Amino acid sequence: MKHQNILLFGYGNHGKFIAQGLLEDGFKIQIVEDDLKRYEEALTDGFKEVTHIDVTKDADLKALHPEKYTQLVCVMDDEHVNVFLTLSLRSLFDSCYILSISDSIHTTKKLQMAGANKVIDMYEVSANKIHNILNHPVATQLLEEFVIDKHGIGFREYIIPTGSFLNGYMTDDLDLSKYGVLFVGMIDEELGHHFIFITAGVNHKLDSGDTIVCIGEKKKLDMFEKLIKKEEN
Amino acid sequence: MNQILLSIALFLRSSKRYRATKNFIRDIFHNTNNPYKKYVDITIIFLIITSVVILIYEVKTPVPEWLDIYDIYFVSFVFSIEYLLRLWVHNDISEHIVKEHKDAQFLQKDFSSLSILKEGLGEKVKYMFTPSALIDLLAIFPAYRPLRVLRIFVLFRVLKLLRYTKSINQFTEVLLNKKFELLTLLFLLFFVVMTAGIALYVMEEHQNPHIDSLFDAIYWALVTISTVGYGDISPVTTEGRSISILVIISGIAMISFATSVIVSAFSEKLSELKESRIIEQVNKSNSFLLICGYGQMTKMFLRHYADEYNNYIILENNLERMEEARKDGYEAIHEDASRYETLKKFNVEHCKITILCLTASDVENIYITLNAKSISKSIRVIARVNDSNMESKFAHAGTDHILMPNKVANTMIHTAITQPTMYKAIHAILTGKSIARIDEIRAYECEGIIGKSIEELAFKKAKLLFMGIQRRGEFLFNPLHSTKVESGDILLVMGRKISLEYFKSIYEKDC
Repeated sequence: MKHQNILLFGYGNHGKFIAQGLLEDGFKIQIVEDDLKRYEEALTDGFKEVTHIDVTKDADLKALHPEKYTQLVCVMDDEHVNVFLTLSLRSLFDSCYILSISDSIHTTKKLQMAGANKVIDMYEVSANKIHNILNHPVATQLLEEFVIDKHGIGFREYIIPTGSFLNGYMTDDLDLSKYGVLFVGMIDEELGHHFIFITAGVNHKLDSGDTIVCIGEKKKLDMFEKLIKKEEN
Repeated sequence: MNQILLSIALFLRSSKRYRATKNFIRDIFHNTNNPYKKYVDITIIFLIITSVVILIYEVKTPVPEWLDIYDIYFVSFVFSIEYLLRLWVHNDISEHIVKEHKDAQFLQKDFSSLSILKEGLGEKVKYMFTPSALIDLLAIFPAYRPLRVLRIFVLFRVLKLLRYTKSINQFTEVLLNKKFELLTLLFLLFFVVMTAGIALYVMEEHQNPHIDSLFDAIYWALVTISTVGYGDISPVTTEGRSISILVIISGIAMISFATSVIVSAFSEKLSELKESRIIEQVNKSNSFLLICGYGQMTKMFLRHYADEYNNYIILENNLERMEEARKDGYEAIHEDASRYETLKKFNVEHCKITILCLTASDVENIYITLNAKSISKSIRVIARVNDSNMESKFAHAGTDHILMPNKVANTMIHTAITQPTMYKAIHAILTGKSIARIDEIRAYECEGIIGKSIEELAFKKAKLLFMGIQRRGEFLFNPLHSTKVESGDILLVMGRKISLEYFKSIYEKDC
């Protein structure tokens, strides 16, 4: 994952946080900003790959060569500009993967219509969180901590290599707790690219190429990664 | 005597049971939010209605003896007890005596329990002469059969309903708001009736065989002005008929005036009445949500989850937004949640209240939090924080859960970029999709699991993924299988709702 190039549009409320997080995770990012102040702020914050352009101009966008990047992330503070940018990028670069943020209920649909592959609705995720807090306060807090890796516990995905000891295992029989990790679910490539939770009650046979998702302490997850890469013998 | 009274007062003040009982009874009579009040009210209303029905039925048909006993002894006994209890809780003489005694000791002045007792009893007597207490007292009498005339007091039993029916009380309150207009109208009515009555008496006393006295003339004037017009008395002279015309015209004008006064009183109070009904309704439940602000966050929350929450009210201080919420089909009232009086209207003592501070302003949200916590620490507050610099202030104000929309969204974007495959899984978990619910099992709510080791519990059978234990504020991820569950533990599991229900049913006897 870490060889991914990200083209990040916007260094505002969301952009700043995302850029910082991606940098810490070792991603290569190019920041694009149309506001001079924010452009300078990004430079001051230590980002070297920062461009100041007018994002409403197609020529400027083409000059960035977005097709070279694995993901285009649109998080401009101005929602109108964000929708327009998403639309421009989609019309100019048909095959690019575009991820956009929505700051209002009505913008989500517009961004989807504009061609964003994934839209994260700020209010929707917050509403979900409120619901979770009301019903499972402890679980919600812990889960959030797992997602942000607060206590060294986090999620990780592994692709089962050829010859791994996991090959041929039925998901119902798989107990990884002895390795200090818990098996959450998997993506079965044979059944399409759908995520299947272990709790769904569907018994699957693991094959090489399948992706499994586990939760555990970082150290244990690293150890488990080495283990599954080992040849069966 | 002085010393005896003081000793009794001191004894009563020191008795926790006495004070608790008195407060409990007072609360039942006066606190509309008391959960037991409705049962008392329903019982009394039932007694009133049955007693009135018996009295009416009895006029022409003899009633069975058991009904007589029920009405004479039981109903009257309950009403007497209620009357005495109301008198008892009206004021607290012992408290007054003890307080005065302490003040007298402090100032080293003479102290007389007797004068305070007299004062206290005086207050009770004063209460006995209030309209509601008089109605209560007179409502006890109708059951006394030997004196048939006492049955007229059945009216007081009906009047007693006033105390127990909120809508009649509200009707009276609404009319009281137009006291000035209604009194003016009454005075005008009195003036016109008297003038017309006297005029007709003077004009027709010798010519009209139906008018023998001034009372007859006044009776005619009242019947005419009210537009009832029985016709038993009618003017026979031209002068008398001229007076009739004037009386009829002023009658129509007065009825129109009275109608408009009452209608305007109700329309002015309509929204207030509606709001008080909504509050009253929600206060009857064991737990409810107060959602402050009707912005995008609230709209999104209710759009997704309104069906899952039966008891909630939106408090919005902007009239337009409040009306928008009502148009959208939600229960909303026009109130400012940062005001002490607003939150005080809710049943803080007997209900589990959760406040969602979802306005767009951090200052307003923090003020609502402080307001709620100042009323009761038990109110749970979930507050939206827009500026991350404010987080510590919200924590300091006592917010139970802080919600930072920007942070939540940023975390999700970060996950979507860095772990795109897993994003779906995490998103499903965070949004609580049915197969990926992360739930908590509180050991104290499910005692059957206490003392059992993790390997003994039927997680696999119920298709639940056991993740860990929250114990004394610390999370034990994937603990050893031999770990035993303690009473304060919260077990974190992932799975479908039916799996969790099945798991609980296994230990049902103790859950």
